[in-house]
Amino acid sequence: MKRIWLSAMVGLLAILAIETVVPRAGWAANRAETEETARLLAKLLRAGRLVIEENQPLIDDPHKGDKGFTPEAFEQQLILRFRQETGIDLSKLQSAPITVPPLAKELLPAFVTASKEVLHDAQIVINQRGVGYKNFIPATYGSQAAARFSKQTRVRMKQTTIQPRNPKNEPDEYETSVLKWLSGRPRAEAYVSELTDQGQTLRVVMPIYYVTACLSCHGEPKGDLDISGYPKEGHREGDLAGAITVTAPLNRP
Amino acid sequence: MGLPDRLPVLATLSRRLMTAVLLLASLAGCGLVVDAIDLVHPLVRNELDAICARHTIRVGLSVEPFQPFVFPAIYTDEGLRVTGLDVELIREISAALSQRCGRKEPIVPTLRLIRFRSLFVELSEGKLDLFVSSISANAPAPGRIGLMYSTPYFEAGGIGGIAARPEVAERIGAHLRRHPGQAAEAFSGLTVAVQEGTTAQLYAESNLTKSRLVLCDSLPAAFESKSPPIDLILGKEPVLEYTVRRSRKDWQLLRLDSGKPLLLTREQFAVVTEEESYQLQRFLNELLFRLNESGRLTEMRRRWLEEDYAYPRRAATEGLPFDADKMPQHYDQGQCRLSDHRPR
Repeated sequence: MKRIWLSAMVGLLAILAIETVVPRAGWAANRAETEETARLLAKLLRAGRLVIEENQPLIDDPHKGDKGFTPEAFEQQLILRFRQETGIDLSKLQSAPITVPPLAKELLPAFVTASKEVLHDAQIVINQRGVGYKNFIPATYGSQAAARFSKQTRVRMKQTTIQPRNPKNEPDEYETSVLKWLSGRPRAEAYVSELTDQGQTLRVVMPIYYVTACLSCHGEPKGDLDISGYPKEGHREGDLAGAITVTAPLNRP
Repeated sequence: MGLPDRLPVLATLSRRLMTAVLLLASLAGCGLVVDAIDLVHPLVRNELDAICARHTIRVGLSVEPFQPFVFPAIYTDEGLRVTGLDVELIREISAALSQRCGRKEPIVPTLRLIRFRSLFVELSEGKLDLFVSSISANAPAPGRIGLMYSTPYFEAGGIGGIAARPEVAERIGAHLRRHPGQAAEAFSGLTVAVQEGTTAQLYAESNLTKSRLVLCDSLPAAFESKSPPIDLILGKEPVLEYTVRRSRKDWQLLRLDSGKPLLLTREQFAVVTEEESYQLQRFLNELLFRLNESGRLTEMRRRWLEEDYAYPRRAATEGLPFDADKMPQHYDQGQCRLSDHRPR
């Protein structure tokens, strides 16, 4: 356990050190672009999850049929939320400042498209009247949006957490070590990145934290069944919920 | 051979043709022509072979939930899914058909989630091979002609009731203590909701002459009804019991003093096919026999009715996708309206 923690620490420090010493080397420039793109993609998925979370009462309203929560409505809210989080306007991406890498200008709209496809498919369930809980929640949206995006690009996105409800979100050894390291630290905007495959692939792991809306299912009392029938985990606001992992090849995806 | 030589042969042929025409004409009135031709050359091939040939079985499921037999369609990590005991049964049927067809590709169930009352219509129109949705076997009703029911896969069904308020349940209980067996009398003066097209409607229209009867498109619509407010809902007892235990804890299941649920009738749930799907019915009955003998049916009933579980998880891991295009757009669970009380 101690070894994993140490390796995560060492890995993080090594990345920071490399960035400081050789920030503009040839491979590093590619890495910087890929890393920034991965970071923005993780933030975009996190923003999408927040939009779903904010609309959860509407989605689960059993008294309303057509909710008006269309792919276009979602897109507008996603753009707004992402701009609040990053200052980047997705609707004017091509004229965005130089800090937004060209790779991000390609991939961020692709993720928005994947998200809109998910919303399109879910309409039939979202618009059911007379049925409250429909399991269209941040986690299921995130899984499907990430899966679609990953299928359409060479960048792989994944949501993960320790003891996930969905076995497909089980963390690998590295993600486990990072999650354990993050869970022992106060909430921060930090992220962890590492090179794998002999430096051919970059992986960025960005934490996500519980907010109040999550706690009706993941909060207390621990062990009580939530609306979907899962036992609650007993978490509190600000606890580590998990992470978003973005894996991208360093040659141009 | 010249024409004169051929004349006797032609005369014989024309006599035979005339006889055949007269014979067929005499049979036409009672539909025996079709039967006669069918004997010589079957017009419809074996429905099991048809399923094997198209690699898919077209299954109807009610879009109105009858949990734990059919849960509401939900979104999962795998996409849109539907799950429940009936869905597990469909998987068993598909697996057995795959074995029967003996091809490399499995027989895939194509699910159509449609309104309960449309199940009967679409089956009769040949759009479905079969349907399941906790359907009570052999319920006599005009809308249910031309159907065939399998041997039961669930025998502990029946019509039960849930009350909106404790005093309603207590009032019914007190009446039944004084007059055992007179449940219909116990509901006198109450506003009673049933789902349209179900056996609960047939029961209510035949027996509840002193109640105000309300027809609802679904169980959720009955829960929501404000005008008129509902005192009592009658429906499939296992569904009502599951619902008040898991989600509508504000309603009370009607029970006898012994604690057992009050049953107004006993029902068995079966798989429904067209009347003439003899091969498919024989196949289903043999499968259900094997599932019963092996204890598999008991196990299915136990895991869906008794276990604690998260149905979204089961929907993701073992649920089946469905044809979203065929699901009524912006589906809602409908409304409730007063019945004219005319027995059907």
